[in-house]
Amino acid sequence: MGAKIDAVMAKGLPERDKRNANRVNLWAFGWMFSLMGNMILTKIFDQGAGVFWVLIFAAHIICGVMLVLSYRRFLSQLDEMERKVQLEALALAVGFSILVFSAGSVLDSVGVLGKPDAAVMVVVMSLTYMGGLIIGRIRLA
Amino acid sequence: MRNRLKVLRAEHNLTQADLAAKLDVSRQTIIAIEKGKFDPSLSLAFKVSRLFEHPIETIFQDAN
Repeated sequence: MGAKIDAVMAKGLPERDKRNANRVNLWAFGWMFSLMGNMILTKIFDQGAGVFWVLIFAAHIICGVMLVLSYRRFLSQLDEMERKVQLEALALAVGFSILVFSAGSVLDSVGVLGKPDAAVMVVVMSLTYMGGLIIGRIRLA
Repeated sequence: MRNRLKVLRAEHNLTQADLAAKLDVSRQTIIAIEKGKFDPSLSLAFKVSRLFEHPIETIFQDAN
C-alpha cells in the first residue's frame, strides 16, 4: 500500500524534474490568480478598470504563455516513465473533454441541457487529467 | 519484455534508489522496469548496459 501511495505522489523523482515541476506550479498559480484578478475587476467595473485591468490582463497572458513553455520543458526533461504517465493523462483529459463538450452541444441543440461554458471545460479537463495521473501511476507501480 | 535488472542490481550491491540516481531516473521507474511493467527506452537500456558492462541483449529479452 505504501508503495502505491509513493507512486501516486510521484516520490523519488530526480531533482531536475522537481525543480521543473515547481516552475510549472509557480506559473500555474500566477495564471490562476491573474485570471481571478481579471474576473473580479470585470465584475467591479462594468466598463473595465482601464490601465490596471490591461496590466492584469497582460500578466494573465504572460503567465499563460510561460505556463505552457515551462510545462513543455518539464515534459521534455522528465523521467521517461513519468513522461509516459503524463502524456497518457493529457490524452485522456483532451479526449474526455471533447466527448463531454460534443455531448453537451448535442444536448444543447435539442434543448435538454444548457451549453457548458469554458469554466466547466477547465474543471473537466483538470479533474480528468488528475484522474489519469493517479490511474497511470498506480498501474505502473 | 523480461529483464535481469534486479539480479544485476543485487550482484552490484545497489539499492533501487542508488541505481535510479546512477541512471538519472526515478526510483518508481526502476521498480516498474524490474517488475516488467515498463519497457525502458533504447537510450536508458544502453545506459544500463554500460553501467553493468553487459550487452543489452543479455539484460533485456523479448518476452515472446
